[in-house]
Amino acid sequence: MPERELTVGVGAGGLATADMVLNIGPQHPATHGVLRLRITLDGERIKAAEPIVGYMHRGAEKLFEVRDYRQILVLANRHDWLSAFSSEIGAALIVERMLGMDVPERATWVRTLLAELNRVLNHLMFLGSYPLELGAITPIFYAFREREELQAVMEEVAGGRMHYMFGRIGGLRDDLPMGWTGRVREAIDAVRRRLPDLENMLVGNEILQARTRGVGILDPKTIAAYGVSGPIARASGVDVDLRRDQPYLAYDELFAPGGPGRVVTREAGDCLARLEVLLEQVHVSLELAQACLERIESLGPGPVNVKLPKVLKVPEGADYLATENPLGFNGYYLVSRGDKTPWRLKLRSASFNNVQVLSTLLPGTLLADMVAILGSMFFVVGDVDK
Amino acid sequence: MTTDLPMPRVGAGQAAAPKPMRLVLNWGRRYSLWVFNFGLACCAIEFIAASMARHDFIRLGVIPFAPGPRQADLMVVSGTVTDKMAPAVRRLYDQMPEPKYVISFGACSNSGGPYWDSYCVTKGVDQLIPVDVYVPGCPPRPEALLQGILVLQQQIAQEKLQTKSLRGRLGPYAGRRASAAEVSRPLVAPPEQTT
Amino acid sequence: MAGDIVEIVLRAVCVLAAFLVLPLLVGQTEHKVMAHMQGRLGPMEAGGFHGWAQLVADGIKFSQKEDIVPLAADKRVFRIAPALGIVSYLFALAVIPLGPHTVGADVPGSLVWVLAVGGIGTVGTLMAGWGSGNKYSLLGGLRTAAQLVSYELPLILACASFAIAAGSLSLVGIAHAWTPWWLLWQLPGALVFLVAATAELQRPPFDMPVADSELVMGPYTEYTGLRFALFLLAEYAGIVVMSLLLGVLYLGGWTGPFDHQIGWLWTLLKGAIFAVLIIWIRVAWPRLREDQLQRVAWLGLVPLALLQLAITAIGVVVTSR
Repeated sequence: MPERELTVGVGAGGLATADMVLNIGPQHPATHGVLRLRITLDGERIKAAEPIVGYMHRGAEKLFEVRDYRQILVLANRHDWLSAFSSEIGAALIVERMLGMDVPERATWVRTLLAELNRVLNHLMFLGSYPLELGAITPIFYAFREREELQAVMEEVAGGRMHYMFGRIGGLRDDLPMGWTGRVREAIDAVRRRLPDLENMLVGNEILQARTRGVGILDPKTIAAYGVSGPIARASGVDVDLRRDQPYLAYDELFAPGGPGRVVTREAGDCLARLEVLLEQVHVSLELAQACLERIESLGPGPVNVKLPKVLKVPEGADYLATENPLGFNGYYLVSRGDKTPWRLKLRSASFNNVQVLSTLLPGTLLADMVAILGSMFFVVGDVDK
Repeated sequence: MTTDLPMPRVGAGQAAAPKPMRLVLNWGRRYSLWVFNFGLACCAIEFIAASMARHDFIRLGVIPFAPGPRQADLMVVSGTVTDKMAPAVRRLYDQMPEPKYVISFGACSNSGGPYWDSYCVTKGVDQLIPVDVYVPGCPPRPEALLQGILVLQQQIAQEKLQTKSLRGRLGPYAGRRASAAEVSRPLVAPPEQTT
Repeated sequence: MAGDIVEIVLRAVCVLAAFLVLPLLVGQTEHKVMAHMQGRLGPMEAGGFHGWAQLVADGIKFSQKEDIVPLAADKRVFRIAPALGIVSYLFALAVIPLGPHTVGADVPGSLVWVLAVGGIGTVGTLMAGWGSGNKYSLLGGLRTAAQLVSYELPLILACASFAIAAGSLSLVGIAHAWTPWWLLWQLPGALVFLVAATAELQRPPFDMPVADSELVMGPYTEYTGLRFALFLLAEYAGIVVMSLLLGVLYLGGWTGPFDHQIGWLWTLLKGAIFAVLIIWIRVAWPRLREDQLQRVAWLGLVPLALLQLAITAIGVVVTSR
């Protein structure tokens, strides 16, 4: 929309106005968490925005250094509480790679299945909370109905509703319960059947479209500059997905030509495009989960973990491994000096980079657009602050 | 800027009411708990799950429509309180009008939880504000929050609300208004060199 | 003489009772309708049967809350603001007829009266926004002002159309002149009225002044206890006034089968239709942006209302020959 500015006043230059500095957060309804934005306003227009992070800093990286390799997964689970399983698998994968450990095939497929279900859970949360920011109160109830459905099967296998702790170094904690795959299939079918309801309330709504189309356009250059990744980058046409480009788990087979995996991209780069990417990724992830299920059933019973020594020591060296978490790249840089705890485990979290881009994206927009943009950056504060 | 706020008083309706009215007044407070979700971390998601259709704490009269602290009666601290966040927790608690209640939801706000040995995590929100009900779990299930709310409602039903008791509760917590310095930890001194 | 005074007091008491009961009914309906649209049950415990006493409990609770006036507030303005909203809608409700004779005060130009005092309530919100000494409140208050300016005009134009069609400025007179044809040829006016009334009430999708994800609670951010409850009461009283007004103007008020005996019930039912509609809109739609709202008002509603006015004027001239 072309911007027209009309200044009416007596004398030259119109009325003198003073800027207002507004603190959004650390506790504010829009930040769902404790991100703080320091915003300079001229009327309702934002002149400068500065994200201030650190309110959720829990020192996870330092705590990694005093936890042995089995215990690390607990904390790896919790920095991004909406993608717990994906994060814990990343930590397990890097330790396994440094140990040169082979994971049983069945465990790999189950891990892939759970990671994809976790992705759906994550996206459903944002599909519910984003409209809430725009004032639509109902979609979150629809999103949570589907979440509860999937959380029930996740809980059955892992015992937790959010922090699964089902992955172990070298595989999984337990084998799957009897008849579980059938129940997962039912849950996936139920979610698929009801997803159009949610879609109609989101991208089918005229007001929501009006609030998000053309708002907060992010160009590929800025994305490269800030290291933005995940659905936000793909909504601007940056075709990058580690599941396909740097396959881990069983993704090389799923994303092979003819496989069910595909990378969802959009060109527009606005809030609506980001929402659409999220919505379509839910469909893709459900397809992937279904493919995993079929594979697990055809594999038949087998081991799901390897026997570990009592004291697990990782050989000296350093390695970096990144996974495609629901919100973007989640990387672990592990430096080991041959002890039973890491010497350093650096965490590269997706949300940290995704949130930094706000300082270039927000200036020039209206206060009402601020919440639309903020919500569409799909961040988890724990993932920002670690 | 720090200002000394007056110590809390009970509202006009409470102060003027004769004793038999207490039953009615307690009933009102019990079933109208406008909740202010101090959502900090993982537990906040389970708090939201508790307000959704499957668990639905609105049934119990817990109304999640309070956007700010001024309209709230119940603060649910869900998640890890960090030392950087601590002054804000305290400040928002101070902004809530009396009578007010606090539920500490989850291991982190109860005691620090899995971050018990972190250098930047407050080991329990009860170091900052008086807590009425603790809900254990990491994160607790939504059902656990429902149970916590029921326990709180029973406490309210038996409460004798007086200005004196309100002030007494705040006593150990630096009075009505605590400055940021009082609720943050002082700098940690380096370990002494023994050799 | 004494009889007159008794009658006046009786009428005042009745209006006051209606003013206290009807908004609570709307509030409880909102709780329940919203819950069931979202697959929930809504309040179930307070008072036993389906949580019927939820809002009573709310009221009792609010009366016990500490009354906080912020240090930075403009104290007198801050204290008076909630009263203004309440009083304006109370005065408006007093002249809305439930039946040909069931009316608090039968003022000749009651339509003008309703529109005039209805606008005062917004000033209360504006005062709250200014007086709170809070940046969120100030932004919310200014949004309210912008909204008021853009929505009073279509509202008044729509009302003018009804008045011309009936040839009367009295609500009783308009309801008397009502014929089923109005459903058709006053439809654009009714739509304009509904949209403008929703905006005037600051209900979604036009609730930018109190947008909780942007401005916490806009002008009401700093209010606690009874004063906040008064604002809430004013909001729901506003829904009652606007719904009843539209019921009387567009659906003919008490007109219906057996209207000599249960005319008042018809008026209430017709009002309830619009109240539920306003609640439904809140459940279904997100919030517009402030500039989009101005666009809707000036480029959509004002031309539509003017068109309606022209249609009505031509219709009246043609049919009165």
